[in-house]
Amino acid sequence: MDTVSFPDVTQLAVPIFIAAILGEFLWIALKGRGGRYETRDAVTSLIMGAGSVASGILLGFIAWGFFMVLWQITPLDLGTSVWVIILCFVLDDLRYYWVHRFGHRIRWVWASHVNHHSSQHYNLTTALRQTWTGTFTFMMVVRAPLVLLGFHPALVLFVGGINLVYQFWIHTEAIGKMPRWFEAVMNTPSHHRAHHGRNPRYLDCNYAGVFIIWDKMFGTFVPEQGSDPVDFGLVYNIATFNPLRVAFHEWVAIYRDMTQPGLSLKQRMLYALAPPGYSHDGSRDTSETIKAKHLARQPQDSGTPGF
Amino acid sequence: MPLELLLILVVGGISAIALLLHLSGRSQPKVMTEPQAREAWFRQFPENPILELTLAKDGHAALVRTGDDNAPLGLVWSFGADTVARFLEGAKLSPCQQGLHLHLADFSAPAVQLHLSQAEAALWQELIESPSAPQPRAQEV
Repeated sequence: MDTVSFPDVTQLAVPIFIAAILGEFLWIALKGRGGRYETRDAVTSLIMGAGSVASGILLGFIAWGFFMVLWQITPLDLGTSVWVIILCFVLDDLRYYWVHRFGHRIRWVWASHVNHHSSQHYNLTTALRQTWTGTFTFMMVVRAPLVLLGFHPALVLFVGGINLVYQFWIHTEAIGKMPRWFEAVMNTPSHHRAHHGRNPRYLDCNYAGVFIIWDKMFGTFVPEQGSDPVDFGLVYNIATFNPLRVAFHEWVAIYRDMTQPGLSLKQRMLYALAPPGYSHDGSRDTSETIKAKHLARQPQDSGTPGF
Repeated sequence: MPLELLLILVVGGISAIALLLHLSGRSQPKVMTEPQAREAWFRQFPENPILELTLAKDGHAALVRTGDDNAPLGLVWSFGADTVARFLEGAKLSPCQQGLHLHLADFSAPAVQLHLSQAEAALWQELIESPSAPQPRAQEV
C-alpha cells in the first residue's frame, strides 16, 4: 500500500492569503502608495482563485491518475528525505519555468494561463486569479520526468504547491526591490511585475516561479526598468468582470479562429498551437511584431533590456 | 483542511474583502478628461492616431474616429478603475433609459452601458450609426 502523503499547502495557506490581502490593502490605504485596489477586479480575482481550487478538487484525479501510472512503471524510488525534497523542489521549479514559458508561447496553454494576466491591477488578489482549465492543457506531462526519476507523485505535487504559495507574495507593488543578492537569485516582486507588463519591452520575459536564475540561463530575463513603468494587463485588455468569461474567453477565441471557413488544416492547427497573436493572414500582432513596431516608433530603445 | 472550513474561509474572506473595498470607495469607475481618454486610446491602439474624439459628459466613455477612413468608430471607456478600448465593428446599439447600450461582437467585451443625457444619446447614436457624417462637436488633435 502506498502511504506517502504530504499536506495540501495551497489550501492551508488560504487564511494567510486573506490576512495578507487585508494587510496589503491597509498598507496602501494608509500610505497612499504601493498599489491599487478596485472592488470588482479584486472580487473577480478571488472568485477565480476559489474556482481554481474547486477545479483542482474536481479534476485533480486526472493528473493524479496519470502520475500514479508512471509511478507504477518506474523502477526508481528516491524516497522522501529532506535532500530529496529539496532536489525535487529545485527540479520542479525548472519544470515550472518551462510550463510557464509554454503558457506564453503556445496559444493552447495560453488559453488557460491568460486569465492570470487579465487584471490591469497588480496586487495580492492578482496572485489568486488562477486558471480553471489547466488540466486541459495537458501540461502535466512536463512533470512526468520527475515521477519517472523516482520522485513520488505526492512529493511532486507538494513541492509544486510550495512553489505556488511562494509566488503569492511577489504579486505586489508595495515592495520595491529586495536586497541585491536576493534579486540575483530569487523571483521577486520587481521581476514578476515585469512579467505582468503589457509594455512591448516586458512581453515574454521572467517566467520563473521561485528562482530567477532559469530566466538568466535561458535568456528570458528582463529587469524592471525605472524608465519604463510596468503597464499591467493584457496587450488586448478584456472588458469583463464575469468569471466565466475571464476563464473561457481565449478558449472561445481559439474555437472561433479554428472554425473559420476556408482555412487549411495546418492553419487551423496553428491557431491553437502557434504563439498568441498568430493569424493566417498576418493581420494580428505577436509579441515579436509588437516589439518590432515599438522599435520602429522608438528606435532609441533598441539594444535596451527586452529589445 | 476540512472542505466545510475551506468553504467558510473562502466565502467569508471574499465577502469581507469586497465589503471593505466597496465601503472605502474602491468601486468608483474611472472618470476621464479628454487628454486621459486620448491616452487610454493610444494605450490600446498606438498605431491608430485619433482624428476626432467625443467625450461623454460623465467622462466614462469617449467615441473615437481614427485617421483610417476604412476603420469603424472606436470607443474607449471606463472599466472599473481602468480603461479599455475597442473598434465598434459589428456592434449593436440599443437606446435605453440611462443612455445607450452597446452589444459588442466580442466574448471578452460583451457589452457597454453608456450613461448619456437624452441629447447626448441622440448625438452619439447618430455618430455611431452614421460614422461618415460630419461631426460638429468633434475636435481636431
